[in-house]
Amino acid sequence: MGMTRDVAVAGVGLTRFVKPQAGMNYWDFGSQAVLEALRCADMRLGDVQEAFCASVYTDTGAGHRTLAEIGLKGIPIINVENACSSGASAFRLAYQAIATELYDVVLVCGFDWIPQKGFLPSTFWPEWERRMGFNVQPANYAMRTLRYMEETGATVEDFARVTVKNRQNGALNPNALFQKPVTIQDVLASRMIAVPLRLLNCCPLAQGGAAVILSSTDKLKSKSKPVTVAASVLASGVYGAYTYTGDSVRISNPSHVVVSANQAWEASGWGPEDMDIVQAYDTTSPSELWTLEAMGFCKKGEAVKLLREGVFDPGGRLPVNTDGGLLSRGHPMGATALAQIIEIFTQLREEAGNRQVPKCKIGLAHSMGAGPNSSITILKR
Amino acid sequence: MTAKQVPLKEGLWTSASDKSQAPQLVASQCEACGEIFFPKKEKNICVNCQNESLKTITLSRTGKIYSYTVVMQRPAEYLGPVPYALAWVELPEGVRIESLLAGGDFEKLRIGMDVELCIERLHEPDGGAEICTYKFKPVHI
Repeated sequence: MGMTRDVAVAGVGLTRFVKPQAGMNYWDFGSQAVLEALRCADMRLGDVQEAFCASVYTDTGAGHRTLAEIGLKGIPIINVENACSSGASAFRLAYQAIATELYDVVLVCGFDWIPQKGFLPSTFWPEWERRMGFNVQPANYAMRTLRYMEETGATVEDFARVTVKNRQNGALNPNALFQKPVTIQDVLASRMIAVPLRLLNCCPLAQGGAAVILSSTDKLKSKSKPVTVAASVLASGVYGAYTYTGDSVRISNPSHVVVSANQAWEASGWGPEDMDIVQAYDTTSPSELWTLEAMGFCKKGEAVKLLREGVFDPGGRLPVNTDGGLLSRGHPMGATALAQIIEIFTQLREEAGNRQVPKCKIGLAHSMGAGPNSSITILKR
Repeated sequence: MTAKQVPLKEGLWTSASDKSQAPQLVASQCEACGEIFFPKKEKNICVNCQNESLKTITLSRTGKIYSYTVVMQRPAEYLGPVPYALAWVELPEGVRIESLLAGGDFEKLRIGMDVELCIERLHEPDGGAEICTYKFKPVHI
């Protein structure tokens, strides 16, 4: 595809993700994460040649506002909005700028705050549909979940098991919003949101910030344990597949998730069997399972069996969401995909402490957002 | 005195002046590839094959539930009662559409259930007019 050189992750920064509360601004989260990434990379703001800043619920110029907390250097700053894939989309732009030798050091940051509680609004939909109560999440996820149960035999206990696994992992993540484990009983007793999804099947909205500095390998300050980008891909919705009206009946197309996975395997030269860890997209506990299937980690309907066998546990053959996933971390839209990438980086560098998965060299992060879009990032050590 | 009925949005279903004719949903079908779109498209472009070859059709009044959910919380702009049932309904001509489900017994809903189109109240704001919309109602409950 014409990419000419390796791109390394020079530094990362991540704030604790928190509940919405007055007095905390997106530029505080964002700039805190950027400062931490600069420290981690042993670089200064002046070393950064371009910045891509991801957020969804902020204002125009949000990236500029955030970086102004640290300094103004005249560099190109681009604000990126791609719903829940914003952070990974920004990462991809930075990756491309360095891979093609336009720049040597590029900053990616992602941050968000929450404008309101309850269902996520969207002006994507016409007013009459909003008045009908259409196209609200997690209601659409709920309809897809019931269909998944019908087609695969997955049960609400299985989905509760995903929440339990991820909340257990999140208890070891000092940056997660939720750091207390839950039981299957807790999940099944939690408030019903949209049948069959209960409160503890759904990720909490949150506020927070994340940042990654990408560089050419020669610009790395430390040459030990370099982590490079093996793939950074993005696909958008394909007619008839996994769209908002329940798919086409007559036309069968691969979904945006499948398209992005195929791009990721082609770009990296690897397959699902080569991945040591995965950050799967658990906005709701069932989506972790069907996205693993869609990416090719197992056949349709098989994820539940692997889950029950403990394959996705921290000690299993393919640990999934070792930092607790969205279910534990919480979901500041602009930051989430970067938080996933940062966990992969941390694991590959063997800096995950009591969350450490032994011998991981290659990790994959998947996020998908309203659009729809689907982004996959693969890092290797 | 019955409140005046006003559709939530004009043009979603046929309304005959002859009351013996049941309403039907109005859709677009591409003459090149056969795909059906509901609601009817405003622009004459097929979003599957990009041909400018859409014609207007009406849809079957009965279909099956492809999937559904019961929503327990009120979304910001939603006008109807809570909880409410939402579904993807598959119609025999080969299209799935999003719809509210009428009736109150949401416990009995199942994938594959037969449902029939009805025009029903969405809500009744103060001031008399009843805002109505299309829904599908289980046939056998």
